[in-house]
Amino acid sequence: METDLIVVIVVVTALAFDFTNGFHDTANVVATSVSTRAMSPRLAVGYAAVLNFAGAFISLEVAATIANDVVDPAAVGLLAVFGGLVGAIAWNLITWYFGLPSSSSHALIGGMVGAVLVADGASAISFDEGVLGQVMVPAVVAPILAFVVAGAAILVLYRIVGRLHPRPVTAGFRFGQVISGGLLALAHGTNDAQKTMGVITLALVANGTIAQADFHVPGWVVVAAATAIALGTYAGGWRIIRTMGSRIHKMDSAQGFAAQGAGAVVILAASKVGFPLSTTHTISGAVIGSGAAKRLSAVRWGVAGNIVVAWVLTLPAAAVFGALTYSVTRLFGTGAAGPLIVLGLILAASALMFVRRAQQRAPGQVPTTAEASG
Amino acid sequence: MIASIVDTGDLLQVIWVSLAAGIGVTAVYGLAIFGAARALDLGRAGRSGGATLFGALGVAAMAVVVAAVVLGVVVLAE
Repeated sequence: METDLIVVIVVVTALAFDFTNGFHDTANVVATSVSTRAMSPRLAVGYAAVLNFAGAFISLEVAATIANDVVDPAAVGLLAVFGGLVGAIAWNLITWYFGLPSSSSHALIGGMVGAVLVADGASAISFDEGVLGQVMVPAVVAPILAFVVAGAAILVLYRIVGRLHPRPVTAGFRFGQVISGGLLALAHGTNDAQKTMGVITLALVANGTIAQADFHVPGWVVVAAATAIALGTYAGGWRIIRTMGSRIHKMDSAQGFAAQGAGAVVILAASKVGFPLSTTHTISGAVIGSGAAKRLSAVRWGVAGNIVVAWVLTLPAAAVFGALTYSVTRLFGTGAAGPLIVLGLILAASALMFVRRAQQRAPGQVPTTAEASG
Repeated sequence: MIASIVDTGDLLQVIWVSLAAGIGVTAVYGLAIFGAARALDLGRAGRSGGATLFGALGVAAMAVVVAAVVLGVVVLAE
């Protein structure tokens, strides 16, 4: 009975994490379309939310990687899953508050690894094939690949349409951004919602609700994760709409089309083989690539530097927070009291941070790219 | 060492699919815009033969883009 209550707490916490992921990442998905005026903000946000929802149903490979390949589901306990999840949330809150670059995806995996390491030992973690092979190497490759694809694509496009009258070309690429922006939202829903599905499924396996031999992601988990990320995307659109499109560089509609297309194909191809990527880093790589191919000086290279810092920092830092959260939870025993108390502390800390930030921020000021990392 | 840890087959698949789809489909969409824009220009200039030819190029290229997007989503969902 008490373990069922912990499962409920883990599921609710995971869905809250999924909601905030959509909330943060709205800017990444829609800002390019909005900044080039391919779509109105209202249409872009609604469109992205619908395709985020649809994307979550396309594939389950990433969920399987999170639930099976990074940690050993047979050896992991419920409190470790809770510790990892809350550790990731705590790290995301801290980086958001101090404006440090981060990645929700890497924080989630780092938090899990840290909590499981303390709870169940190193033998419960697949460091080589799991953490390194499925997470860290793809995390390095994906933004570079998106950079190269977007850069090459924009050079080819300028070669094809460069001598034409700009008006029909701009109109054509704005229409193209409806397709590429839709694909990007679909890709985001596919990769990011599956991480939450993986964590919830891991908790269900740890609780014995799902037998490890009969591993599958239940339908209600898919629907719940899809709904949470879509609602988060819709809710987040109004706060951070300008972040990605104009903070990295001013882009024309051809660049927007190339960046969205490159980001979408890299994330979708990675989702097909089960690589959990940082969608923010991948989209940022594509946006920077489309700008650098046109003019190196047009790119704000500081944002690229932030991504590198986030690569180095997020996994180990979130692992430490996952381990700490698990340890604090265990101070209250193995029942539901620990998760309830820790969750209460996190909620109180979040409320305090939101109030402090609201007091510090001038009216109308948009958050930084670091805050929008996901 | 990395090759023994990473599934290089999967990684290479991500790389070639991204390059082919990201650059290839984008280029074909560029051809669709090129065809449509040239067809408009030639149509205004009264050169209906050329306009039809470029219009056909634009339509064919657009059809390839739509087919590629549908195929990509179907393959992903399999």
